Amino acid sequence: MTFDFPILTLLILLPLCGSLLTLACRRSDLAARRVALFFALAELAVCAWICLASLPAAPAGAPAGFFLFEDAAWIERFGIRYTLGMDGVSLIMVFLTAFISAIAAVVSWKGITERIPLYFALLLALEAGIQGVFLSLDLFLFYLFWEAMLIPMFFLIGIWGHGRRIYSAVKFFLYTFFGSLLMLVAIISLYLMHGAQSGSYTFALGQLIHTSVPYGIGLWLYAAFLFAFAIKFPLFPLHTWLPDAHTDAPTAGSVILASLLLKTGAYALIRFGYPLFPEAARAFTPLLYVSAVIGISYGAWVAFAQEDMKRLVAYSSVSHMGFVALGIAAWSPVALSGALLQMVNHGVTTGALFALVGMLDERTHSRELATYGGVWGKAPVLAFFFLLFCMASAGVPGLNNFVGEFLVLVGTFRVSPAAAAGAFLGIVLTLVYTVRLVQEILFGKEKKPLALADLTLREGGILAVLAVVDVYLGVHPGPLLELMKTPIALLTGGK
Amino acid sequence: MKIYLSLMLLFPLFGAAISSLFGRKLPRRLVETIACAAVWGSFVCAFLAACTYRAPEKVTLGDWLSAFDLLAPLSLYLDPLSLSLAVMIGFVCGLIHVYSVFYMAKELDYARFFALLNLFVFAMLTLILAENLPLLYLGWEGVGFCSYLLIGFWYTDKRNADAGRKAFITTRVGDTALVIAVAWLFQLTGSLSITQLNGMAFLLPGGVITGIGLLLLVGAMGKSAQVPLMVWLPDAMAGPTPVSAMIHAATMVTAGVYLLARMFPLIGGSATVTAAVAVTGGVTAFYGASCALAQRDLKRVLAFSTISQIGYMMLGVGAGAITAATFHLLVHAFFKALLFLGAGCVISAMHHEQDIFKMGGLRRTLPLTFWCYLAGAACLAGLPFTGGFFSKDSILAALWLKGGGLYRGLYLLALLTALLTAFYSFRMVYLVFCGENGRPHVHAELKAMQWVLIPLALLGLFGGLLNLPDYLGGGFLNGFFARLSGGAAAEASHLEELALQGVASVLALAGLLAAHLRYGGKARAQRLKESALSSSALTMFLLNGWYFDRLYHAILIRPYQALSGVLWRRMDEGVIDDSLDRLAAGLGASGSWLGGWTTGRISVYIFSFAAGGALILGYLAWLTL
Repeated sequence: MTFDFPILTLLILLPLCGSLLTLACRRSDLAARRVALFFALAELAVCAWICLASLPAAPAGAPAGFFLFEDAAWIERFGIRYTLGMDGVSLIMVFLTAFISAIAAVVSWKGITERIPLYFALLLALEAGIQGVFLSLDLFLFYLFWEAMLIPMFFLIGIWGHGRRIYSAVKFFLYTFFGSLLMLVAIISLYLMHGAQSGSYTFALGQLIHTSVPYGIGLWLYAAFLFAFAIKFPLFPLHTWLPDAHTDAPTAGSVILASLLLKTGAYALIRFGYPLFPEAARAFTPLLYVSAVIGISYGAWVAFAQEDMKRLVAYSSVSHMGFVALGIAAWSPVALSGALLQMVNHGVTTGALFALVGMLDERTHSRELATYGGVWGKAPVLAFFFLLFCMASAGVPGLNNFVGEFLVLVGTFRVSPAAAAGAFLGIVLTLVYTVRLVQEILFGKEKKPLALADLTLREGGILAVLAVVDVYLGVHPGPLLELMKTPIALLTGGK
Repeated sequence: MKIYLSLMLLFPLFGAAISSLFGRKLPRRLVETIACAAVWGSFVCAFLAACTYRAPEKVTLGDWLSAFDLLAPLSLYLDPLSLSLAVMIGFVCGLIHVYSVFYMAKELDYARFFALLNLFVFAMLTLILAENLPLLYLGWEGVGFCSYLLIGFWYTDKRNADAGRKAFITTRVGDTALVIAVAWLFQLTGSLSITQLNGMAFLLPGGVITGIGLLLLVGAMGKSAQVPLMVWLPDAMAGPTPVSAMIHAATMVTAGVYLLARMFPLIGGSATVTAAVAVTGGVTAFYGASCALAQRDLKRVLAFSTISQIGYMMLGVGAGAITAATFHLLVHAFFKALLFLGAGCVISAMHHEQDIFKMGGLRRTLPLTFWCYLAGAACLAGLPFTGGFFSKDSILAALWLKGGGLYRGLYLLALLTALLTAFYSFRMVYLVFCGENGRPHVHAELKAMQWVLIPLALLGLFGGLLNLPDYLGGGFLNGFFARLSGGAAAEASHLEELALQGVASVLALAGLLAAHLRYGGKARAQRLKESALSSSALTMFLLNGWYFDRLYHAILIRPYQALSGVLWRRMDEGVIDDSLDRLAAGLGASGSWLGGWTTGRISVYIFSFAAGGALILGYLAWLTL
């Protein structure tokens, strides 16, 4: 079967069209919501179709491991091409993006009351940008999407946020923008070097990896990439934008920020950073190890001190993403599988926790731990989900996060016992702040009388879907591991 | 076999799923019936598996984790060790489920309770039956999670929730050591299968085996409440009493012993490891018994005695006597569950009073409970011919026969502990059941609860039949376990064995006598009077568990809390974030300084233009030079 339909373009265009159509629904907020949800679900359906369809092994011209590939000339003068490709890793990330975006649309169904069409339009535009990042195989195109993601997120925080939302939005923007400018410089340098060497000026990833970069210069270029990605990750000590952005973002903004935007950094490091500069990446490995190990424990430790639920979950993200960084730094098949799995797991679990925090916030208008207590007695269904996701976050086996963390730790220990040894401390510290959160919210007596209704059908549905995914990935991660096997084998040269 | 094993796990898992998802909508009776039926179904499967058992068997149920060469399928392993424990767990947990129906009859949140109880049985059986270490860890953490929620079951009281949290975190410390051991084993061998690893001992250097053995020991310390990670168990008594009986006496807390016994073929070769296990066990046995001497809360007496008895099991493992350790594990499960359930009857009759100095006279008002409790106390004290006597003696004998200064020393320590054990067991019995000063309330549920004690009392008293000494015809377990590594019984002459048992009997009886002299008859009233006065420093020291809690609070908890605040405010917001904010502010300021150039005055622009032009011209001139 030959397969010519540009399905990858569809994946990007679908949310983009949805975004424009949503914006057009000026009259009716309900219509805007429905259109947005329809497009988010359509995107999810396309992803599901890709998973189910038995696609031909490799389209012509596709790099090894890619089962969907689109390539067209775009700005020929500068050798810029419109190249999209999907391998197992991209499929996982694209699926996660479609899934979380749909969840985010439902999460903000009631919570957003102002400028609803614009809000949902930005949400879908953001989705399109993220999909572009996960699919681009041309560095210029990638950079374009990378920057395009920033803009909707900036407005989501700045317009619908709480507290110091302008400060947080600007901080988020400047941090990431600064990182990406450095990356742009590195991309252009690489482009010029490759052009000078081979005579063909191109941004194609497949060709740029063959550039012979002098070791010293490679270090600088890789450093620029790593810096951009590390900010997105966020790696210690470049993480301080995250708690602010999370705390002040609207609920769905936090969900997307944690579940998807942070993943783009890790993904880009795997897709671009390591393949482009293998030697430099190896040279920087100790730095990455140190940053990851400190991040794991430091994030967990600081999370323990938080009084604001959202900040607590935000710092927990720093800690969890440390595990991802650790697995990438180890760059062994098992550790890298764990890192990718952990990206998905963190996306689902932390996304769910942010959604839950948002639901509590909508009810009581407080995110302070000190406000709550004894929620178990008042809202048992909400409490059940809260506990489930907290336990998943704490790495209780049988739920999803354990699988990723375990693979990362075991895989890293094999390569670098010293680095893994530092990370083991994180297992204890993670539990310490998680049970504090559970205890302050769910247990004890009510600290203040709260008007706390249990979940509505919509909220229960969101959490139930996320919970099913959590349990499924914890019990049966096989399909995901199978999907990422070929790309990881190709990346690491493993068996 | 596969069907038995999968059903054994699926019954309680489904029970838990039904109770947790729909329990609040279902009628109470139905939830209770499902919960009990699930566990008894599990027991029947275990029993049938035992009937059809021929040889060790590995059963794979499905796929769990497989990433490149890392393989951890859902596979189970049935051998004499796991089989005997599975049968015991099914039976004891089944009884405790039935007991719970009556004990928790007034509790509104029954669905949550039975869901967690069922889930616990599932996790415990997974732990026991797992063939690979990640799956074992799943069970290991699963029981910890259930224990956490069940200790804090009455969550509105902050102390209960705190106790649950303490248990969860303390055991996590040990669990981390277990994960490190797993990662290390995988690095060395590329395998996570327990049977494969146990066959690879000869491939690994001695130092590595010692390291792994010590890590596993730390893991066991957490779960099995051994010194220095034992602080959580006395507090865990905050949970409902059936939970204490099931999780914190009969099953979960012995998981550490099981882990070491399971991995014994791997780690048993290292003399350092066995010595460390034995010393941990000996010290803990003594620690627990000494603390139990001074406790006033009935459940805390039993908690410290559990710590102490698990210490004996560790001593058995350390002496390389897996059969003896498992024997004691099984018999202890029966009599300790009995004692806890008996304590539940007592506490329930005493209007939830737990201070043994405020009890009394229950011998006449609760005769059935009294006789059963007496049987349990006799087993705990190791009075001759009870199950506890034979099992404890087989550990003592193994220690003695192992020889060498260390093990002989530990033997003496264990004997001293046995004396203390007999003393505190009967101190408890005398205070609770004799005298007059209690006004019990015998309700309908209590009458039903008492019946559950009878099978446990019989099993405790006659548990010795599981493994009689050679001079009485030899034991079943010895034969059953003979092919396990460390399972073969140490060779002792009948005379030596009789002499060792004679010494143990004399000490147990001496303890009983001492308790009688101090707490029996008229002396009892005197002790009650004394108890109202202030206690001596030694009593306080023992009562507070040698002040370990205070120590940990000072050196671990307080600094951790304080530093977390410092890290956040000073480090994260202070140094890291502030420096970047300042950088941004600096850039902003320089921007506005540059912006100051845009004055709108033509002269400034012309001047700037001229200066810029001059610079460019100068640069070009420099280039062409």
